[in-house]
Amino acid sequence: KVTEGENSPLPGVTVLVKGTSQGMTTSADGTFTMECAPTSTLVFSFIGYSSQEVPVNGRSSISVKMGADTKQLADVVVVGYGTQTKEEFTGSAARVKGDAVKDLPVQSFDQGLAGKATGVSIGQPNGVLNNPPVIRIRGVNSISLSSYPLVVVDGVPINTGNVAGSSTVANNPLGDINPADIESIDVLKDAASTSIYGSRAAAGVILITTKSGKAGKPKVTYEGWAGVTRAVRLPKMLNAEQFMMIKNEAVLNSKILSGNANNASVASELFFPMYNADGSLVDTDWYKEVYQTGFSQNHSLSVSGGSESTKYYFSTNYSKQRGILKTNEFSRKAVRFNVDHKLTSWLTLTANANYNNTLNASPNTGSLEGNAFGLVGSARLAWLSAPNVPVYNPDGSYNLSTANTLGMGNNQVSSNFYNPVPMLDLNKYTSENDHILGTFAADFHPVKGLNYRISYGVDRLKIENVTFQSGVHGPGYPSGNATNTSIAANNWDFTNTLTYNLTVASKHSIGLLAGYDRQKFDNAAWGATRSNSADIFFNDFQGSYGTIIPANNALNERALVSVFGRFTYDYDKKYFLTVNFRRDGNSALGAGKKYGNFGGVSGGWSLAEENFYRNSSLAQVMTGLKLRASWGKIGNANLTNWYGSLSLYNSGLYGSAATWAFSQGGNPDLGWETGKQTNVGADIGLFNDRIQLDLTYYRNNVDGLILNVPQSPSKGIPNNAMLMNVGSMYNRGFEVGVTANVLESGKFSWNTNFNYTFNKNQVTALYGEGTEIVGTTSATAETSNITRVGYSVGSLYGAKTDGVNPENGQRIFINREGQRVQYNHAVPSGQSRWTYLDGSAAPAISVSDYQLLGNALPKFYGGFNNTFRYGNFDLGVNFTYSGGNYVMNGSKGTWRDQRFWNNTTEVLDRWTTPGQKTDIPRVVYGDLLSNGSSFPISENVEKADYIRLQTASLGYRVPVQLFGAKSGISSVRVYTQVFNAFLITKYSGTDPDISSNGNSNLTPGVDKNSIPQGRTFTFGVNVGF
Amino acid sequence: CDEKDIMNPVPQTSLQGTFLFDTPERVLGQVNGMYAGLKVGNFFGGRFPMLSDIRGEEFINRLQNVFTGYDAWNHTINSGSNDALTTWSSAYATINLTNLVIDGLAAHPNVVDAATTAQYVGEAKFVRALCYFSLISFYGQPYVKNQGASPGVPLRMKGEASPANNNLARSTVAQVYAQIIKDLDDAEAALPLKYSSDLLNTTRAHRNTAIALKTRVYLNMGQFDKVVTEAKKVVSDATPYKAATGVAHQLQADINTVFTSSYTTTESIFSMPMTELDNISGQSSLGYEYNLNQEYNLNATGILGNAQWRTGDSRRTMLRASGTTMYLMKYRKANPYLDYVPVIRYSEVLLNYAEALARQSTPDLAKATAVLTAVHQRSDSGYTFPAATTSSATALTNAIWVERRIELLGEGFRSNDLLRNMLPIPSKGTAPSITSSQPEYIFPIPNAEISSNKEL
Repeated sequence: KVTEGENSPLPGVTVLVKGTSQGMTTSADGTFTMECAPTSTLVFSFIGYSSQEVPVNGRSSISVKMGADTKQLADVVVVGYGTQTKEEFTGSAARVKGDAVKDLPVQSFDQGLAGKATGVSIGQPNGVLNNPPVIRIRGVNSISLSSYPLVVVDGVPINTGNVAGSSTVANNPLGDINPADIESIDVLKDAASTSIYGSRAAAGVILITTKSGKAGKPKVTYEGWAGVTRAVRLPKMLNAEQFMMIKNEAVLNSKILSGNANNASVASELFFPMYNADGSLVDTDWYKEVYQTGFSQNHSLSVSGGSESTKYYFSTNYSKQRGILKTNEFSRKAVRFNVDHKLTSWLTLTANANYNNTLNASPNTGSLEGNAFGLVGSARLAWLSAPNVPVYNPDGSYNLSTANTLGMGNNQVSSNFYNPVPMLDLNKYTSENDHILGTFAADFHPVKGLNYRISYGVDRLKIENVTFQSGVHGPGYPSGNATNTSIAANNWDFTNTLTYNLTVASKHSIGLLAGYDRQKFDNAAWGATRSNSADIFFNDFQGSYGTIIPANNALNERALVSVFGRFTYDYDKKYFLTVNFRRDGNSALGAGKKYGNFGGVSGGWSLAEENFYRNSSLAQVMTGLKLRASWGKIGNANLTNWYGSLSLYNSGLYGSAATWAFSQGGNPDLGWETGKQTNVGADIGLFNDRIQLDLTYYRNNVDGLILNVPQSPSKGIPNNAMLMNVGSMYNRGFEVGVTANVLESGKFSWNTNFNYTFNKNQVTALYGEGTEIVGTTSATAETSNITRVGYSVGSLYGAKTDGVNPENGQRIFINREGQRVQYNHAVPSGQSRWTYLDGSAAPAISVSDYQLLGNALPKFYGGFNNTFRYGNFDLGVNFTYSGGNYVMNGSKGTWRDQRFWNNTTEVLDRWTTPGQKTDIPRVVYGDLLSNGSSFPISENVEKADYIRLQTASLGYRVPVQLFGAKSGISSVRVYTQVFNAFLITKYSGTDPDISSNGNSNLTPGVDKNSIPQGRTFTFGVNVGF
Repeated sequence: CDEKDIMNPVPQTSLQGTFLFDTPERVLGQVNGMYAGLKVGNFFGGRFPMLSDIRGEEFINRLQNVFTGYDAWNHTINSGSNDALTTWSSAYATINLTNLVIDGLAAHPNVVDAATTAQYVGEAKFVRALCYFSLISFYGQPYVKNQGASPGVPLRMKGEASPANNNLARSTVAQVYAQIIKDLDDAEAALPLKYSSDLLNTTRAHRNTAIALKTRVYLNMGQFDKVVTEAKKVVSDATPYKAATGVAHQLQADINTVFTSSYTTTESIFSMPMTELDNISGQSSLGYEYNLNQEYNLNATGILGNAQWRTGDSRRTMLRASGTTMYLMKYRKANPYLDYVPVIRYSEVLLNYAEALARQSTPDLAKATAVLTAVHQRSDSGYTFPAATTSSATALTNAIWVERRIELLGEGFRSNDLLRNMLPIPSKGTAPSITSSQPEYIFPIPNAEISSNKEL
């Protein structure tokens, strides 16, 4: 009998009598019966498992347990347009197996990569479902272009980013791929490896290989989990009583400071309680109204199998996930089919198709890029809404003011913010994908070693965005409006490759690859807004409305045409050489600049294979040693504007007359950004490779950066900027990966992986002497970052402060001359709000006083992943960490704002008496400035270092005997898991990973009015049949 | 498909510059494009007149929201403020459109005939003059402070479409005014007397539009004789006052007509048209700010309580009470916001004329009183100005200023009326008063300009 794993029978295993042609395969229950000489040796072989030779030794019954051929599986590196063994590979890459992400309660696999791949930094910008994570491979490698890596699924580069183009709903198309369908994720990091992707490789390449069938008995797998998610680390807000006390104190302070202490016509208090019918004080906890415990479930079923000639893999997935915010949902229904058919000895056909429907629904969270200052963001509304007013009026209607804002009850002030509850109840924002990802390929291999592959891939994504804003309350007031937008993102890729592998004189291995690739992107969007709903009954675009106007129309195309080649050579598996080349044409660039040449060369020396090394004493300890180095040149032209090189005029209307007006200043000389990367490293194995070390040093110099160069606004160039190739920067760093089989004793084992990346980013030139680029949060709402020569991209920028003056409780700022200036929001008419500490009038602090407040890019990051096993139990404990950077805790400005907004309980420590030392200024009603709500201040800049227990899981393999042989069950594992378990950090905001500006290069490290992250507990089961 | 084709995709929703002068229609489109530049939300579409009004004392900010003008109201605008940048950028973007039209017509002389070319250039100069006047009245010290010797704004007179020419020094206030007057004189000579429809007469510049704007510009310069000269071209000697040539501008019987039922009467000399497909909504929309979202209410101690504005005055029908708080509803059509935004109205020309008559070297108080009375009595027919207010030039001027506050409330005049006379901006609510010697008296040049224009 032949078995595998936990003694499950293995059918289809070839059993041969060694030295003869006598043989057979095992039956469905793994058994076989054959006659042979008692002295013969049986050879057991099966694809994916190590072959075994078992001497019969006269036995009549033989049991064999097949072990997975780990060497064969683990040591392959997927590279562009092919694979190499780890031995042959001389670039720099990280590999994450699909198993590592399949059970995570995430929407897309990229969210699950945190801490798992050396050199890859993953930040989850907040707890909004299916929000694209901030992925940085070896730092930020561009300024104005995307720093999101190229993602290639089964050979086809696909669309990434927030594809919805909706400011409300996050829609990451990578969420359309069921993580359980992924066999492996390979991250190419150095230019020698990525340059085969030429112009698109500057931010690294992530290669996704989906699962395919394996010959043998059909294997059925079910994976399912269910769980709950809750918001964590929300700050504590003032209750109704504290709120009224603080705000009335602020009102009184304002009255006194403005010289109206004895003026009866100026109010001394403006905030007054409301009472419920039962006489209790109205004390609304807005968190309860906005946040929820989200329940999620995920089910995947797959079937794989096949014969030597035809292999198949079929899977289906249903996922329904709810977020920490009410009405935030993600659901995915997916099917995938991969088939691989060997038609003749010289022709193999491969096809795979993935169809899925994904629905993203979200309230306006205020947490996506450009939204931090909206009047509708749930995060901010939950924080600032007055606790002493109710959600509903006694008659059950929503508590609203006549001006369509939250009713302020007995408070004698008005709010310009909405009541968040009707916003959640009545409005609807969704983005739904119908996504087909498929490839069809034919491999011709007329002679040994030669293969011609022709492949056609499609990535067709149809997105429907639906927005409904009720006429009852909120942004649709009073007309009620509905906007539907349909977006088609069509992407096809046609690839031809010719490969030839040859071994000469048994020691010279030569590999050749030549290819031609043509890819085209066609995006079309159209839509309309209907408003003035005929009746509040209508909640959909299709209802009855008085007005319709076109919205969100766009038509864009882009093409890439490329030829590429690769040459690999090794001598006796000791010396390795790889040369890559690609010539790329990109339609988005200027007329004479569309084509560019890219390439790289890498070499390796496997010292451990040398006789002199083997004989040295070092070889006893350091059993493996390979040195590798590479250099490459890559490009970047990931322009979000596909017509960025053209000067354009747009047509519009002036009333009802048609217009043409200058809309884009184009640069006909717009070309590539060029990165030149050097990479030096060593792969070291210690103690029979029980400990494996991967050490790499890299430097990447990027020249000809495409910058959106600011133009003097008085020139009147649209958007006051033009794209130009100027500027340069570098990323330098080193990576350490340690994988160790720490302990293996009896039933107990401990495997660990630790990885660390240090990266230094520095801008070395911009568009001229003394130039800098200002980054703003939410369009132009707030200047928050600066990119300056000699510093890292997007450093934090704002006004420098120096605590609170103990004499008078005023915030002290430091102006550009280094002088201390204090701010008093309420002064008698004619007096200056800004004074020097001696009381004389001072100029107001403005942008010209801003200073660089800290580096916003992590200097180091990594992960620490551990797997413990004891018998049938397994325990996974995975940490991620990051640090060396600063975060602007802009939400703190919101939490301490002295308008009618509610505050956190920190404000109870405000200054009240002369001599008092505190970091909270005296509260003065209307003061939006002292705490950084109006512009960023250094008081709110905090260190972002953290360690996170990203996942902890405990699993148990249920002995299959319990189910009996008839059940067909071959393996069962149950597990429980916690995701984002806890965070160790001094950061006082909700999470130092928060990015209010999403993936933007110019404005990292800003945490402004974003919802926090969630913590998820799941219970799951993996069953194999 | 051919590699050359897919590598050179032609945008299907925008036009590349080279095709702009292919047809006369496209040239006309560019002319309309200049007006559309004026009409953007941050400029005459709403934000610009709003900023001018809220800097004055007539409105109280209710919500302390910097996105709806709190900084301007509170005089806390700094060089990094959005309103300082967007006003500047919108004006200069429109100036560039006018320069591109002027340059383009010269480079493509045969697309439209010479007469039409001259008219289009005249329209471009009118729009350019209006933009520079807007800029200089926000970012420059008042002309009357020192006859324009203060630094003004950069004078851009050539179309810009390349990365060159970031640097340009500021011209003096006087130089900018001289250019405005020159453009308007040229425009007056080149513009048609009238167009084929009331809509075009209201939304594009004709000869009287240029003349009307000149009365405003000269008034700012304190050159009252010239105001009178210009005004006489469009105001008849006898009542009812009307323009004798060109578009027959005159007051309508009821001011409400102009704001509610017909936006294209002869009273509306120049307005920003609004249609369902092209209107200004959101936080730059006047209807949203003053009426729908109640961002500002009328200051009880502002013009609201003035004796010259009696309860029966029909201009009070454009106010609305909510409790004891009064709101302006001159702009009331919401979702979509279809009220035209007036830029030049005949009553302003009359009040410019009246003020100049009273303040010119030889005042004509009788005539000034008659013109002022015509404006007032249109809305409150029983009112006569007390003798004390009309007996001296100073008193009469004060009465005219009060009348401007009533008549032009919410149309973007208040700040300029204070500044052109070097008057302090009075305090209101929690906002302090600002004198003409304080830096907050005018807007600062935006930081984006300072950082890229090295000759400022």
